[in-house]
Amino acid sequence: MIRQLIRFQNMDRRWIFLGMALAIVVPLLAPINFPFKIDERVEAIYEKIESLEAGDTVFISADFDPASRPELEPFYRANLHHFFAKDVKVVIGSLWPFAPPMVNPWLEEIAADHGKVDGEDFVFLGFKDGKELAIKLIADDVVKAFPKDLKERDTATLPIMEGKRQLQDFALMMSVSAGFPGTREYVLQVQGQYNLDMASATTAVSAPDYVPYYKSNQLFGLSGGMPGSAQYEKLVYDKYGNDSGLINARPIATQALNVLNMGHLFIVLLILMGNVAFFLTRNIEEA
Amino acid sequence: MVGEFFIPHHQYRAMTNEFLEWGLILSAGAFLLGLVNLVQVNLPKVQRRDTDWQYKAIMLVALVVTLVIGFAGGTARQQPGYSYKWFFDYVFVPLNATMFALLAFYIASAAFRAFRARNLEATVLLSAAILVMIARVPIGESIPVVGDYLPQLMNWIMDVPNTAARRAIFIGAALGAIATGLRVILGLERSHLGGGES
Repeated sequence: MIRQLIRFQNMDRRWIFLGMALAIVVPLLAPINFPFKIDERVEAIYEKIESLEAGDTVFISADFDPASRPELEPFYRANLHHFFAKDVKVVIGSLWPFAPPMVNPWLEEIAADHGKVDGEDFVFLGFKDGKELAIKLIADDVVKAFPKDLKERDTATLPIMEGKRQLQDFALMMSVSAGFPGTREYVLQVQGQYNLDMASATTAVSAPDYVPYYKSNQLFGLSGGMPGSAQYEKLVYDKYGNDSGLINARPIATQALNVLNMGHLFIVLLILMGNVAFFLTRNIEEA
Repeated sequence: MVGEFFIPHHQYRAMTNEFLEWGLILSAGAFLLGLVNLVQVNLPKVQRRDTDWQYKAIMLVALVVTLVIGFAGGTARQQPGYSYKWFFDYVFVPLNATMFALLAFYIASAAFRAFRARNLEATVLLSAAILVMIARVPIGESIPVVGDYLPQLMNWIMDVPNTAARRAIFIGAALGAIATGLRVILGLERSHLGGGES
């Protein structure tokens, strides 16, 4: 018995990898959709955007890469649908060099779905290097930070930028952030100084870091990881879903939650089984 | 730069903006420095056929290819149909995503081997981890009877002990950064110059 318990505790890790692979693949093939509740932090983002008026302009800092794409892209897409459905204008910049090739195609596709005009209703300003320094410059003078947009047009002459010079000229700011530089640097460098209305959508691993900022009202909302994206998707697509004229509004984070369910469950079962085997072994050895 | 928070005068801001631009130019220059450094460090190792020279060769080839197709595509390189866009979508994105996805497998293996309730502290950590992991996903909310309370308990863990600890870490790190900054400015800390402690 004790030999089997020890063997179980030292099992070849390839069995664990196989189990994890099954926990990922099976829910993709046979999804079980569990209902979920909406967190107040995610709802706060939705409600704030709902309170915006048509013609308002917002700034999104899209700071993520392919590794964090599954967690943040669903939020980003739902967020764009939400803004465009409310006729809010969107200006996007990025502090991550890998973001533009992912961020811009979705912006153009979703904007086209809503019949929005580039330069008037939305613009992508591209990537800005400089990390915290870039954040300070963006907050102080968006046009100076991005003299040209991604399509090499003069930012200052774009109709959407009329009257928009500093970050505080925008109705609100969304930080879709996978790490450094991102939400924390915006909060530390400019949120307090410019009294920005700011919210963050971040990865599950970063969300606990930003809870203090939410609790101190430096962020008016916070969406963490795939569950946060799924909750926001549900709020947006329930109200502005396909029946209301939105196109391509597929709730991808909601579908991915099935995988997350099984993945988490598998890890918890592994930990519990490992501990049961550990205690049985110790008890037998002591006896 | 710190003074900007306390001196809301336009001339002071103009001055800090000037510094900001210097900083941005320097950070752009750092990219070039990084490129030179990468080649300087890795090229001789490839020439000498050092250990794992093949990986370094692949890295240098990838560097050159990305640079060439990036410059060749010009400002339109991120549009569909350009080599850079193809390279990004079909080489970089899958590789980067795969690296991150591997974490799930290694975390599962590490959690199975390392998470043991050997003492009180480990048991508290283990219990909190299991609770947060289950309550974060919809399956936790669907557990009969306790499912309604799990998210509340998780939020309490995240909002109270987690927030308290994070604030302590933030404040400690900030004080540490200020102390280190002062030591560098006053010349007490010289290790970054390659010298001794003081």
